[in-house]
Amino acid sequence: MEKVTVVVIGGGATGLGILRDLSMRGVKALLVEKRDLINGASSRYHGLLHSGGRYAVKDQSAARECIIENQILRKIGKSCVESCGGMFTRLDIDDPAYEELWVKGCADSGIEATPITLDEAFKLEPRLSRKHIKSAYLVPDAAIDGFRMAWQLIDSSKKYGGQVKTYTEVIGFDTVNGELRGVKVRNQFTGEEYEIACDIAVNAAGGWAGIIGKLAGVEIGVQPDKGTLIAFNQRIVNHVVNRLHKSSDGDIFVPHGSITILGTSSMSVPDPEDTSTSREEVENLLKIGEQTFEDLRDFRILRTFAGSRPLYIPPGGAMGRSASRGFAIVDHERDGLKGLFTIVGGKFTTFRLMAEKICDKICAKLNVKEPCRTAEEPFVPEVTAEDKKIAKKFFPSYGMELAADRLGAERFKRVVERLKNDPESRELVCECENVTRAEVEEICKEDTSFIVNDVRRRTRIGMGTCQGNFCALRAAAVFAEVGVESTAKDSLVRLREFLQGRWKGIRPILLGRTLRETEMTRAIYELSMNVTGGEPQ
Amino acid sequence: MKTSDVIIIGGGLAGLMSAAVAASRKQFVTVLTYGSGSLPLSSGAIDFLNAKAPDKAIKNLPDYHPYKKIGIKNIEAAAKFFCEVAAQDNLPYNGKLSAQIPIVTAVGTLKYSGLVPESMDASMLADKKKIFVANIKGLKDFYANMLVDNLKKYFPNKTFEIAQLDLNLMGGRDITCMDAAQILTDNEQILASELKSLNATADDAIIIPPLLGVAGNFSRSIVKSQIHADIFETTCLPPSPAGIRIQRAFMNYLQKAGVRFYENTKVVRGVFDGKKVTGVVVETSAREKVFPARKVILATGGFYSGGITMSDFDYPKEPIFDLPVFFPTGAENWSNENLFSDKPQGFSMTGILTNNNLNPVDENGRVLFDNLHVVGANLGGVDFIYERSAGGVAISSAYKAAMI
Repeated sequence: MEKVTVVVIGGGATGLGILRDLSMRGVKALLVEKRDLINGASSRYHGLLHSGGRYAVKDQSAARECIIENQILRKIGKSCVESCGGMFTRLDIDDPAYEELWVKGCADSGIEATPITLDEAFKLEPRLSRKHIKSAYLVPDAAIDGFRMAWQLIDSSKKYGGQVKTYTEVIGFDTVNGELRGVKVRNQFTGEEYEIACDIAVNAAGGWAGIIGKLAGVEIGVQPDKGTLIAFNQRIVNHVVNRLHKSSDGDIFVPHGSITILGTSSMSVPDPEDTSTSREEVENLLKIGEQTFEDLRDFRILRTFAGSRPLYIPPGGAMGRSASRGFAIVDHERDGLKGLFTIVGGKFTTFRLMAEKICDKICAKLNVKEPCRTAEEPFVPEVTAEDKKIAKKFFPSYGMELAADRLGAERFKRVVERLKNDPESRELVCECENVTRAEVEEICKEDTSFIVNDVRRRTRIGMGTCQGNFCALRAAAVFAEVGVESTAKDSLVRLREFLQGRWKGIRPILLGRTLRETEMTRAIYELSMNVTGGEPQ
Repeated sequence: MKTSDVIIIGGGLAGLMSAAVAASRKQFVTVLTYGSGSLPLSSGAIDFLNAKAPDKAIKNLPDYHPYKKIGIKNIEAAAKFFCEVAAQDNLPYNGKLSAQIPIVTAVGTLKYSGLVPESMDASMLADKKKIFVANIKGLKDFYANMLVDNLKKYFPNKTFEIAQLDLNLMGGRDITCMDAAQILTDNEQILASELKSLNATADDAIIIPPLLGVAGNFSRSIVKSQIHADIFETTCLPPSPAGIRIQRAFMNYLQKAGVRFYENTKVVRGVFDGKKVTGVVVETSAREKVFPARKVILATGGFYSGGITMSDFDYPKEPIFDLPVFFPTGAENWSNENLFSDKPQGFSMTGILTNNNLNPVDENGRVLFDNLHVVGANLGGVDFIYERSAGGVAISSAYKAAMI
């Protein structure tokens, strides 16, 4: 039987942070995730690295944590963070009294909020509504790429012996006399069930924490709270633009590379798997968004998506937006189950701190004296100027810098080696995001790439303007050639799965130019490729 | 300006076909186009309907279906006319309305169509012993391994061999099938020599991506005369040489027939006299210009080509004549949960409804303009992609409209 010291359950930012922290302290740890990594709220959110400004009035301890972690992540996750800065804007319909509270809150929480004139604001963000904006402040918000950070956390953990098993679902716990002996899991592809022996298990399953708790017979107060977001095909904003009012729906715009994300809504849902979005939710977000940017509807929407925040609800606590964004650590020894911990709540920006706190507790229990070092060491070494210079010869157009940020030093070197040795691998699989075949091949071979969608999350193929129209076939073909034998060979299944994944986010916004793209997808894949393999009836 | 017997708006398959048919009747024809239509996406095959015998199945369609308004005689005549135009440009087609012919797709599935280019007709594949699949060095978008994996499922007992061919495509930017087909025109021997080196016999087949030229001036005979085996071209990702070949064949036909063809010419509205359209207004850089006409054929396509637009839910528009547009209402009817669905997609049924003469009608079935005819993907009520009828409806509606 496999044996580790700690099994971490859940491949979101929190779980990955814990895996990294424990591995760096020399604790043998294995992370299991029932689907692909960061499939929950860690990727299904706006990718905002909070300055804390959003919590400056309601929850100043959360605000203080945010600003500290914000500064740490900029340092240790350089290529994941886009230091675009943030702006808070108050509209004519927003309460001026709140502005005063907010300015004070920022000062008290250590967040630098610099007032700027409206002229300056319009210069920095030309699309802001000249009709509605009444005041503006700059704050140190930033954009962060949740996908990229996750892979870098894995790289960092692996360096210290951390292990990861994706598509591995926890189905039960092995306990003897109230003491944990192991975690029972199932491989999602083969159906194989087995046990991983461990001393400690950490339930870091986010929105699924309650379900995991049930398997262990413990009650956990977590309420999945669905947030819907819209991705636009353009960079509408230069900064993260927040509404300066009491936090509400649709009041944050975050720029990411060539796109902008607008979000979010807040709706309690019974099932964390519910990532559905609807026309009505999109319409609501647009209605609010266009108060800040009047010409919002002129921009093409790429897709919508939704995720569930795992809000921690202590007995008798508040729900939805009123619920605390703080987190809780539970040692279930208090429930008579020694060896199981749960961590719930919190937010993406403070995942590292959350990991540190729970790892301190775990290490105390294990009698490990190593201190936490996660705030000092970068996730991955940066690509050197020297390597970039070599790479320039082989990369098509501007793809090199993007790839360097995506891949980190070691993987980048391997991709460049492929490009060098096999000129055919220099062709672009994804023109929208500038991804070469060499990069796709490299990622296909990794031990967390089981389906084409996994490769998408790691490379960004299919996430750009064409939403997979061209790269779906290419990626499925490359994956079939070099991917893991057990799943890659089914190229048509993988291809359909990939396009269906894109379709989910397109349906609620199926109008305008998106209709054109969709008809193109169908013409290519139904008429020219017959990917369903159907025969005349 | 001289009054056209017919003005055709749109240069996709339906527009080109309308123009060719009208020109064959010695009419004075003007084509106004903006954009290139969907032929660059085309497989090259013309689908009539997803049925073993499309002609029989067409008879059983409901009355609102465009095919019922066009009539089987016109559909047959359209197929014949299409093949004649193509053949004149060294682009022979095989097929008929009563059966389906398989072609091999780029992913290795078989796709069945009524009319297929001779160079793609894979009917004989079943009789072959060994199948070579060409893997071409430096060619993008063609993946022989995947193709073989999937094609094997249809022919589990045949021998497959992936043949590595070098056509000197390396050493520059990415080369698509379209680029390669262009490069090989007037350079056919390099392909012939590489294929010859496989020593394939008459019992064998060689499957290649669509490289046999993009127009009639590619000499297939140079390649074929040197190879004993049958060669089959597959479909490919756009831009598709097989679709462009159709476009070129029709353009050549129209040019010979003296059809006036205006590219990059955006028609903004019609000019009317009661129930007659007397001309159309186009936008030029300096001013607007009126093209007078006795008859107008609207072949501007559906959502893909911009013949129908929709920027707000439940408000689709036909932007030139502001014709009433049929569409399924409500989010639940607009699209299906699965992209590749087992039922028609609502959004794809959006379009203009017509009478039997393909004149646009309002919601009460009243004719709006009796010399305006709607053809191709502009037509509403049916998901042509779902029912595999896009090409057939395009050419047959065009034929009928041009013959009226």
